[in-house]
Amino acid sequence: MTQGRFTGVGLGLRRPHLEQVAGLEGHGVPFWETCPENVVGDGGRFNRLAWSILDRDPVLTHGLAMSVGGFDTWDQEYLRGLEQFLIRTGTPWHSEHLCFTTVDDNCLHELLPIPFTREAVRHTIARAKDLQARLPVPLLLENITYYAELGVPEMAEADFITEVIEGADVGWLLDVNNVYVNSVNFGFDPKEWLSRMPLDRVKQFHIAGHKRFGNLTVDTHGADVIEPVIELMQWTLARLGRHVPVLLERDNHIPDLNLLLAERSRLQLAYDAVLLPSEVRHV
Amino acid sequence: MSESRTLRLQRAMASLILDGDENLLEADPGFPAQMQGLAEADVQSFRDQVPALMTYRELARMSLIEPLEDTFPILRALLEEADAWDGCVQAFLDARRVKSSHYRDIAPAFLGWLATTQWGQDRWPFLLELAHAELLEVLVAHFPDTTTAEEIHADPELEDRILLEVATQVVAYRHAVHKASEASPIPVATPTYLLAYRSREGEPGLMELTQATAAFLVMAGTQTLAESARALGLTDLGPLMHLLRDLHRVGAIAGFQAPI
Repeated sequence: MTQGRFTGVGLGLRRPHLEQVAGLEGHGVPFWETCPENVVGDGGRFNRLAWSILDRDPVLTHGLAMSVGGFDTWDQEYLRGLEQFLIRTGTPWHSEHLCFTTVDDNCLHELLPIPFTREAVRHTIARAKDLQARLPVPLLLENITYYAELGVPEMAEADFITEVIEGADVGWLLDVNNVYVNSVNFGFDPKEWLSRMPLDRVKQFHIAGHKRFGNLTVDTHGADVIEPVIELMQWTLARLGRHVPVLLERDNHIPDLNLLLAERSRLQLAYDAVLLPSEVRHV
Repeated sequence: MSESRTLRLQRAMASLILDGDENLLEADPGFPAQMQGLAEADVQSFRDQVPALMTYRELARMSLIEPLEDTFPILRALLEEADAWDGCVQAFLDARRVKSSHYRDIAPAFLGWLATTQWGQDRWPFLLELAHAELLEVLVAHFPDTTTAEEIHADPELEDRILLEVATQVVAYRHAVHKASEASPIPVATPTYLLAYRSREGEPGLMELTQATAAFLVMAGTQTLAESARALGLTDLGPLMHLLRDLHRVGAIAGFQAPI
């Protein structure tokens, strides 16, 4: 499987759609993204359906478990299962979040912000390099939404992300919705922010919906993608000038598959409008 | 060398999320950072970002508590009636028992905590059984698939042993917990034997057993059908063989194995 197979806009594979997707070969989705934690070590009907799709269609993998910025030792059993999973799915890379999720061996099940400090940069680079050495495919790290800075920052978020990704020599899963949400919550210009970033490291995009709660905008993955976020994706794609797979995330208020396929098509049009000459644009 | 500031900040965040005393947090949002011995500037940064930090508390606690609400609705109904659900959940969070990064492991971790601490069981002696029964079908539905390497056949003979499917569980309770409901969460105290299994289509199923049948299914895993029936005083083998064929047909029994 070559990385060139992964272009256009894919969808996250979610349990409510498994049965329908398993029976649909001509669904038009160029690739699916799946979370190993939902498949490895599981069994039963949904697991069989998931594998029938993963063994048939192109797949990218995206994990929640590794706590890259944390201090706990790696879960060796998880890593063994992950390695087999990555090989079987044929994913060209595996992505994780640039965050911490466990503290003193207690999992908090939330993507928590690493302090923007020199010490945390050094620590996270070492952890990411170590994790990369244990994976059979290249590692990508994803920028997260954050709602508070953990302690007094010693640098800006942009510098923190850049130093970690470049220091660890890993790829970047650029979540444009997270950039947008952070720009709203912290009051900065997302394009200016992106202009400072190592865009040559971008291997994949995430895009999703969000919701405003009082004074805070939260990355809910529970609503349609708004136009400013689509425009930010297009702006970044235009700067890159190359095909990068975009993954539409939907984890809450999951709509019927047909509605999600229509949302994917809307994003595919926006993607094609940037990267394809007009005579070959398609959905 | 002093302990990492990054680690102490992460511990302060964990404490802010998991610890129960919200009054303490409201009185001084810098308290979790102070407890980690962080510098005053870091303590103040906690005080300066209260709404955002409380959002993390809410989001993470929702992730930890939702699997409990989804898996144990009857237990929740029972404890909410007694105004004890929130206290039970907080005691679980205080115990720091969520070690796995899999969402699916949160509910089993809660059950394990109930079993080891016996929380609430002086007042509700059936509480652990009720929680176990609520989790049982979920565990059976998701038990990892395996292929049976051993040579087995579909039609039982008296000299065979039973090979249950890997997901199948034979369980015994002192209460009829499988008949409890959210509307009526207190089960009747009566010995109860259940077979939990996954159908060939992958759906979980539950079947009531007699004590003798439950014992037979367990014993016949290591002894022949004839020996097991004799040991349990089961003389009418016709209905028993019929049941075994049915259990194989629905997927509870993988097959039958002749002596090697």
